[in-house]
Amino acid sequence: MKSLEADVVVIGGGSTGVGVVRDAAMRGYRAVLLERADLGQGTTARFHGLLHSGGRYVVSDPQSATECAEENAILKRIQADAVEDTGGFFVVTPGDDPGFADKFLAGAAATGVPAREIAVAEALRREPLLNPGILRAIEVEDGSVDGWQLVWGAARSAQAYGATVLTYHKVVGIERERDRVSAVLARDVKGGEDVRINCGFVLNCAGPWAGQVAALAGLHDVNVVAGRGIMVAMNHRLVNTVINRCVYPTDGDILVPVHTVSIIGTTDVKEDDPDVLAIPRVEVQEMLDAGEKLIPSFRDARALHAWSGARPLIKDDRVAATDTRHMSRGMAVLDHAARDGLNGMLTIGGGKLTTYRLMAEHIVDAMCEQMGDTERKCRTADEPVPGSENRKLYQVTHRLEEAEEDRFTDPIICECELLRRSVLVKAMKEQPDATLDDIRRQTRLGMGPCQGGFCSTRAAGIAVAEKVVDAERATGLLRLFLKNRWIGLWPILAGDQVRQTALDHWIIQGTYDVEHLPQPEKEVVL
Amino acid sequence: MSDVVVIGLGPAGLSAALKLVESGRSVLLAAKGEGGFQLSQGTVDVLGYSPGRVANPLAAIGELPAGHPYASIGAEKVRDAVAWLRDTLGEELLVGDPAQNYVLPTAVGAMRPTALAQPSMVAAHQAASYAVVGVRQLKDFPAELLAGNLGCRAAWIDLPARREVDSSGHMFARAIEDPAYAKRFAAAVAAAAPDGAVLLLPAILGVKPGTWRRVADQVGRPIAEVPMQPPSVPGIRLHDALLAKFKAAGGRVIIGSRVVGCKTNGGRVASVTLAVAGGTRDLRATDFVFAPGGFASGAITVDSRGKISEPLFGLPLTQTDANTLIGPDYWAPHPLFEVGVETDAAGRAKYENLYLAGDIIAGAERWREKSGEGIAVATAVRAAESIMGGRA
Amino acid sequence: MSARSEQSKQLRERLNNELKRVSLDHCVKCTLCEQYCPVYPVTEMFTGPKFVGPQAERYRDGDSVDHSVDYCSSCGTCTVVCPQGVKVAEINSLARAVMKVENGMPIRDRLITETTLMGKMMTPVAPIANAVLGNSLARVVMEKVVGVDKKAPMPTARSKTLHGWLRSRPKPTNKPTRGPVVFFHGCAGGYFEVDAAMKSIEVLEHIGFQVLVPKQGCCGLAHQSNGLFDRATDQVRALVAQLRSAGTDLTIVSSAGSCGGMLRHEAHEILGLDDPELLDVGTRTRDISEFLMELYDAGDLPTDFKRIDLRVPYHQPCQVRSQGIGMPAADLLRLIPGIEVVESGSICCGIAGTYGLKKEKYEIAQAVGKGLFDMVEATNQGVVACDTETCRWQIEKSTGVRTVHPVVLVHQAYGLS
Repeated sequence: MKSLEADVVVIGGGSTGVGVVRDAAMRGYRAVLLERADLGQGTTARFHGLLHSGGRYVVSDPQSATECAEENAILKRIQADAVEDTGGFFVVTPGDDPGFADKFLAGAAATGVPAREIAVAEALRREPLLNPGILRAIEVEDGSVDGWQLVWGAARSAQAYGATVLTYHKVVGIERERDRVSAVLARDVKGGEDVRINCGFVLNCAGPWAGQVAALAGLHDVNVVAGRGIMVAMNHRLVNTVINRCVYPTDGDILVPVHTVSIIGTTDVKEDDPDVLAIPRVEVQEMLDAGEKLIPSFRDARALHAWSGARPLIKDDRVAATDTRHMSRGMAVLDHAARDGLNGMLTIGGGKLTTYRLMAEHIVDAMCEQMGDTERKCRTADEPVPGSENRKLYQVTHRLEEAEEDRFTDPIICECELLRRSVLVKAMKEQPDATLDDIRRQTRLGMGPCQGGFCSTRAAGIAVAEKVVDAERATGLLRLFLKNRWIGLWPILAGDQVRQTALDHWIIQGTYDVEHLPQPEKEVVL
Repeated sequence: MSDVVVIGLGPAGLSAALKLVESGRSVLLAAKGEGGFQLSQGTVDVLGYSPGRVANPLAAIGELPAGHPYASIGAEKVRDAVAWLRDTLGEELLVGDPAQNYVLPTAVGAMRPTALAQPSMVAAHQAASYAVVGVRQLKDFPAELLAGNLGCRAAWIDLPARREVDSSGHMFARAIEDPAYAKRFAAAVAAAAPDGAVLLLPAILGVKPGTWRRVADQVGRPIAEVPMQPPSVPGIRLHDALLAKFKAAGGRVIIGSRVVGCKTNGGRVASVTLAVAGGTRDLRATDFVFAPGGFASGAITVDSRGKISEPLFGLPLTQTDANTLIGPDYWAPHPLFEVGVETDAAGRAKYENLYLAGDIIAGAERWREKSGEGIAVATAVRAAESIMGGRA
Repeated sequence: MSARSEQSKQLRERLNNELKRVSLDHCVKCTLCEQYCPVYPVTEMFTGPKFVGPQAERYRDGDSVDHSVDYCSSCGTCTVVCPQGVKVAEINSLARAVMKVENGMPIRDRLITETTLMGKMMTPVAPIANAVLGNSLARVVMEKVVGVDKKAPMPTARSKTLHGWLRSRPKPTNKPTRGPVVFFHGCAGGYFEVDAAMKSIEVLEHIGFQVLVPKQGCCGLAHQSNGLFDRATDQVRALVAQLRSAGTDLTIVSSAGSCGGMLRHEAHEILGLDDPELLDVGTRTRDISEFLMELYDAGDLPTDFKRIDLRVPYHQPCQVRSQGIGMPAADLLRLIPGIEVVESGSICCGIAGTYGLKKEKYEIAQAVGKGLFDMVEATNQGVVACDTETCRWQIEKSTGVRTVHPVVLVHQAYGLS
């Protein structure tokens, strides 16, 4: 059992958790972050990829709208490398109430969300696949964001300020001494040591799992509702601008270009267990229908991959238990000292990715107040994270440009996503225990049209060639990677992706016979 | 007007076309693009797993379920068809016995059964021990992973095919056609290779059949080529040889134009409609062989609602709803990919003179059981023989 | 977005970019296009059609950042071989056009594409023009100033144009038994290399057709393949009107191999033109070998050919192959007793229209064609057959062997020469 000392332990490595650990570390606290899987693997990286302009909330949730607008500008400054300035449109599709657009504009003015109506002809000229029947179009400052780059950027900033970030560490206990939190116990799930962190404060940022974590401290009434939503990534950027339907928020009303794909989403269905998130076929069909409203040829485009994420919503009494969409999107901070007589622990729930930094600021302010450290101020808006220092926003052309320059010296391993060998090897060496999915989240390996058909064996081969793992583990990692890719493929398999899957099977099973590789004694799962 | 129009130039289309043109018929082969062998491992599978590993594919055919494409053909005719392909292409391209599988290592280190292989590959069968040599500039050959799974040693050579650090196997194979480069390659391999009874090399030893022997001689010890993902050099060799034989026998080829429809007369196909630049053409023939592939080529489609169709002739499929045929277990069989068209004993479906061959036929998940080429050639020969036998 | 990238975005929109771009969804990364591309194996400067086509297109958003697409020769082979229906060549052409808009168009590309102009200007003083074009010093200067390689094959001007010949020849005496066809001769057929056009007309008249030859300009193919889409559009539209002026129900027979492809599909697929007049002309156009083989398949072609004992290498130009009609010229020549046709087995001669004329592409073009030149040298018995004029110049210059349009041999076999 390893032992660490810290001022604060942050539980949960999603956007909330990394935002909090960064803020705490920048304010001089000794901070440790514990995440049971890879960073962002809970809700954050399963979201839409949207950096809200605030437009979505100008009518339904004005406070949120203003916050989004402000934080949108801040994130473009401090995490530029993770953000693409795509711009956004809100469009009134045939059948929508054209009057809502006026409410929208009024709400935008009132909340300080930049918005400007443009001619439909201009919207169609800039986005030729858009529904030619749209009635009105309003331009906003939406962007798109890579969830993994976001969380890793914040985490690296925290590390630069002395924080310890422990992924694949599952919290198994929260100890107290009388009425005060005293330590957190965690298990290294990749098989290393367990660790005990003696601390004065615990910040429970575990999102949909916050209730389970609170229970470890003996607090059994923290009710977090998991609102599950699915997303479908389409194989290429059908649009280069975020497209929103100009309506009161509903399902499937946003299409976001992120990196090389465009993502349609989302749905909202209450789930009991955030670890079991289905991708129901009926919802996939709903998303395709929703896409058709924005882009008439949507069903002919290639659906590439689907996933499910769970929004963490603190249960409140104002709406029915199963209707999750209309729950407040605001953050909720549960002060366990006032609520439960346990000092030194706060649970945060709700919120959205775009305002993660602000959420973190609030919770660390609350912690400072409880600790009597009110002179320590938040500086997270002032400083770019590592990797974003040159303040250059992400551009989708950048990998193509880099590949063009380096192509005589650096082989391209994942051709679909233009992933060069040097980038892959660097990620593998930084995380020698990583699965190929952990590597994928950092590098986009296997996220393009062929979904690993051509690159997964190359990557497994490189892992052995670079002595990061032996052949036995590489074989297990390869099998795990293929199995995991399938989770997001089988629910949407149609059209071109069926052809791709058939070719991939011809290669992986036909030519390579991966199924009959020597089986490790224990299947690799982590 | 031709005697026969063959649609498709994968293993099935090429086999049917060649058999028919060699019987004296005029044959026009139309294909919407290239494909088939060039994407495969470059050997001829008859039956590799059922579900356990099969030693004698012909013996195992008798145990297959009634809906399997081999079931109505029978082991003898399968044997004859596969032997015909082997003998037609010659022993510089294919060797082996359809009654006895080779077991050859794949590029990642699985031991994979196959019935006929290229002579450059077969030294790897039942070798006493192995050694592996990879090429730094060839990312498709993971030498250490392969060696690790075989329990042998690996080494690398540093020899670009040309200036870049990232060449496909096809690029290397072209380079090896240059005797000067081949000599340097062989010398580098010989110098680097660890001990082992058979030296495993990536399948890049020349585009032309026979070039590999020169390399092997210069390396000076037993070697075996190991197939890789596309571009598959061994596959290219088979494709090029079959197509050349077809043309040499007087066959005509149209590549790059899709068949988009047909005209029928009573229960017969009168012509198929080909989309050429700027318009369409009706290709009339007495008989038609439809060898368009299966799901991979898009001959069988699944729309966004899960509806499965064969859009060209509207042939009846064994299943039409994909939603129930695909499930969460990656390693389990996928019934979707067994969907296809069932034929009569002559290989026909829907029309008296429309014969099917290859992946379009229902009843097998080919990559899983390792049967793709065998089904292709057996059904192709059945189609050709039915036509040659003058079935009305 | 910069003004230039706005312009290139407009270009993409106007050219129905989205339709071609959407075909990238069909790409399953199978590498077949790379296996058949003639440029990819001879130079590392080109990353291959899959890379610059459907793969890179997912990354392009207005700004052009990848220049290796410039090495694509627009031979169109990638689209021909793709079994999934990806319009690889069209995506590449568009990317190149966008690149040129953003990076500027070399003067050279504007000059060498003005083939009709060149022909018209050169003809009255043809021997002088030839002397200049043949003069090494003049060519060195041209290479330095304009970028046309001094070794590149250049057209030879003729003293007489096709229309000059039509005007001055004795009127044909046989009455037509089959009705009229419209004849499309292309720039070369009109001005530089009228032989193939003259002989095509004589063959058609011999078998009973009345051949109408309207005044006609350039099809715009050279401009299009150099990214000069506006000029190409104007030219092809003018040509369409000229061809239709001779009659809108008639078959249009072409002796200009590649130019026929421009009318039949490239103007639509690459320039994005949807004009009903263009589509009408495209539907009615036939390559002359294709036309004669259609007559043969219907039992309507006289086959009273004189014997010609000759082994003839035949090379099918890329832009004839991409019309998807098979290899009718080879089939046609095989009807002549005594002729042994040996197909080149090569994808491309290297010239690719104007590609091989350019200084920085010349070596690549020669490397692309090398297999073909070696084959020609090994098999020829004094003549090579090829349907497109620029390919004929390339082959003749590189091998020294006389290279003719296949119809020249048919003309001879009918006893007309």
